Amino acid sequence: MNKFSLHNHTILITGASAGIGRACAIEASNLGAHCILTGRNEDALKETAKLCVNTTDIFVCDLKEIEAIKNLVGKIATLDGVVHCAGITYPRPIKFLKPEHIKEVFDINYNAPVLLTAQLLQTQKMNNGAAFVFISSISSRHPYFGGATYVSSKAAIEAFSRTLAIEIAPKQMRSNVLLPALVHTKMLEDTKLATGEDKFSEYEKMHPLGFGQPEDVANAACFLLTNEAKWITGSELKMDGGLLLNGKIK
Amino acid sequence: MDILEFSAKLESEFEDLEKGSVTPATEFRNLPGWSSMHALIIIAFIDLNFDVILNSTELKEAKTVNDLYYLATKKNV
Repeated sequence: MNKFSLHNHTILITGASAGIGRACAIEASNLGAHCILTGRNEDALKETAKLCVNTTDIFVCDLKEIEAIKNLVGKIATLDGVVHCAGITYPRPIKFLKPEHIKEVFDINYNAPVLLTAQLLQTQKMNNGAAFVFISSISSRHPYFGGATYVSSKAAIEAFSRTLAIEIAPKQMRSNVLLPALVHTKMLEDTKLATGEDKFSEYEKMHPLGFGQPEDVANAACFLLTNEAKWITGSELKMDGGLLLNGKIK
Repeated sequence: MDILEFSAKLESEFEDLEKGSVTPATEFRNLPGWSSMHALIIIAFIDLNFDVILNSTELKEAKTVNDLYYLATKKNV
């Protein structure tokens, strides 16, 4: 039997329709978890559910809306873990920023996970010993041109997680953050189209282990959800395929 | 904004270019020092000035500054 198990765990995963969120659902399911999948695209969530080996529930909802969050939390049973994967990027150099760019990114990357967490705690939907995992980005520490809103929202969620870790520790609950570098997702493919193949492969070469796969991040998230990680809280794990080993990124 | 003004403004956004190096016929990916940063500036410049968001496929298919102007004005209706 696998030492790291999520049997008898119920895990809520946001952004489960694709990329890292989908991979988290699949890996958590492989470890025995019952997964509750949320996202905006019902067909894509059903596709994720098909790839899960264990039981799943699907809730289609837009976490930008507080009423949708309350409705979701009202319908679900108690949880042993949450992986906050839903996120967007809106690349803009700072001098081109509009208020709607900031609102769009912070609504999804910061406000939604914060308000969902608040609602789950307020309604006592988290079991003692439960774990929160937030997906941030290496860019919160090593920003990139055009990433101001995304990078700031991720830095904010890291600070939130550390505060959360203090507040939930009395119930043996934990909160941790993963900081991946570039991972093969649709977002990455879009970037490749915009920048051109040559520049892109140049950038990949800066990662000694190449770009990550969604399941690389999911495996780390699942470990943090297990009871074996019960002494780890308030931490941030960089996952960058060796990108920062030479001490600089472009 | 006409195509000449578009070219001139775009040139001024690419802070490291010599004056007059961006014309309607310029193949923008051949500009000196072209990088993903410039692609991002183009998308943001068109969004700010035309309220038009170019997707990655449209940007990939555009070759010249004139192509960009056509996309920006065609979608801004």
